[in-house]
Amino acid sequence: MTAALEVRHLVKKFGGLTATDNLSFSVSTGESLGLIGPNGAGKTTVFSLIMGELIQNAGTIHLDGVEISKLSTAQRIKKGVSRTYQVPRPFAELTVRENIRVGLMPNSVRQMVFGNSDKARETELALSVGLSEADIERNVGELSMGDLRKLEFARTLATGAKIMLLDEVFAGLTSGEISMIAELIQDLRDQGFTFVMVSHDLPAMEPLVDRTIAIERGALIAQGSFASVLADETVRAAYLGT
Amino acid sequence: MNLRWYHFLLWAAFAATLMLMPELVSKGTLRTMIFACYLAIFAVSWDLLSGRTGYISFGHPFLIGIGAYTTAILSKRFDVPLELSIPIAVVVTMIGGLIVLLPALRIKGSYFALVTLAYMELIYQLTQVVRPDLTGGTRGISGIETLTRGAVNGYYLAATLLIILTIFSWALMRTRIGTALWAIGMNEESVRGSGLSTTKLKCFAFLASAFVAGLGGAFYVHYLGSIAPRALFDINFLFTILVAVLIGGAGTIIGPVMGAFFLVFLLEWLRPWLPGAERYFIYGLIALVIYMYEPKGIIRIFSNLLGKLRGANK
Ligand SMILES: Nc1ncnc2c1ncn2[C@@H]1O[C@H](COP(=O)(O)OP(=O)(O)O)[C@@H](O)[C@H]1O
Ligand SMILES: [Mg+2]
Repeated sequence: MTAALEVRHLVKKFGGLTATDNLSFSVSTGESLGLIGPNGAGKTTVFSLIMGELIQNAGTIHLDGVEISKLSTAQRIKKGVSRTYQVPRPFAELTVRENIRVGLMPNSVRQMVFGNSDKARETELALSVGLSEADIERNVGELSMGDLRKLEFARTLATGAKIMLLDEVFAGLTSGEISMIAELIQDLRDQGFTFVMVSHDLPAMEPLVDRTIAIERGALIAQGSFASVLADETVRAAYLGT
Repeated sequence: MNLRWYHFLLWAAFAATLMLMPELVSKGTLRTMIFACYLAIFAVSWDLLSGRTGYISFGHPFLIGIGAYTTAILSKRFDVPLELSIPIAVVVTMIGGLIVLLPALRIKGSYFALVTLAYMELIYQLTQVVRPDLTGGTRGISGIETLTRGAVNGYYLAATLLIILTIFSWALMRTRIGTALWAIGMNEESVRGSGLSTTKLKCFAFLASAFVAGLGGAFYVHYLGSIAPRALFDINFLFTILVAVLIGGAGTIIGPVMGAFFLVFLLEWLRPWLPGAERYFIYGLIALVIYMYEPKGIIRIFSNLLGKLRGANK
């Protein structure tokens, strides 16, 4: 069976700094992979490389067995992978509905001009991530952090992606919001979505992942079950900063 | 696109007001209004590219100039009929502008503005040295065939062009592409992260903008009957367009049209007191005051007023 997402010998350098160091891992369809590592370990960089927002110095990325390393971000999304950001990046002066609309738009000028927006689908997506009816016409500037994260999910779902890369999903959330987002992720897992997840909130992440990998200075240092990775000596040392 | 009955009503009122002007005002005022119409067209053109995406263009005089010079040279030097030279001028503006500015669309922020400004200055220098037999060099070209005779006809033509281009641009910005262009201005990376090619979107905005600039420039030169590089590729002309958009309300299409008329009449009104270039300082000041009071421009002041009236009626 081919993996849904496979990263092989990925290298990314920023000047003298190696942010991704010969990293290989894969996720199979429907699986949820935890990606942990101390601050600056290179987690976000991996996501940016997979999305084509950064270009690697070496290595390949495959989606369902097809190499995507040379495609544009838009083309990669069309192939089914999408991400959320550590700090949500909404369109600040648009409404929730319009934000989702951008995610739903086809990448075709002709269809954008002559086609109509699918209001029912916009509403459905907003409600499906737990935003309320009243939120939909609201300006994004009025949303709480938790609602902004939900909106990121909605916009990511709107692209039609089946593989989601979640960066620091629980950052800046209240405990109530954390359990809501966790529930949403469980829901999507049940629906068959594939995840790679980064979080500093390890207890919140534990029940959401099937398998975990740990990186430090861009290189893989451990992989296996969540508990075994956390118990690993190298991982403990990395987190303690020694 | 989501059109409502009052949209048709407002557009009909807008068109009717413009069309009735020759009955209401003097010939002299009409000439001022012709300039206002063309300035409004250029402001709409600028707004299509820069108003929403936030890619501030300092190169619009460059685009307008390509359109104006192309049709002027074709008709004057090669006897090409205007029915042909004007469409050619529009196409040349779109293609020529795209070739030159496309690389610039990949760079963000103030660099884009600076690069486009450089193009304006470059073409100003070029018109004087490259084939002055065609461009007329520093002195430009005069005796260009005009499309109309007299202020009234000239006005009807300019106003009709303005009405058509404004409605076209407004309708375009109400489609999903208008939303996507706003989104680019707010967060270009997230637009890419939503699966859209921002290069494609910016190119489209650019082509629409160049279309309007080229068409406006071509008609304008066939109204004036002459063209000179310093009148066109000039920082004052550029700032007049920019200020019209900013005080009117960037990204709204209608705002820049209002801004253009407001500005032209303000300058006219100031003329007896300030006959020289000092007037240009004044509009900088006025732009600043309006900007401080309402950064979203005159159109927002109007819509707030309308909102209040509607609220009061309830
Ligand atoms: N665009 C960039 N230019 C230079 N260095 C970068 C850039 N992005 C990230 N880095 C560096 O790469 C390393 C990994 O960063 P990042 O992937 O954000 O880590 P994490 O998400 O694990 O906290 C850090 O040392 C960071 O400073
Ligand atoms: Mg990070």
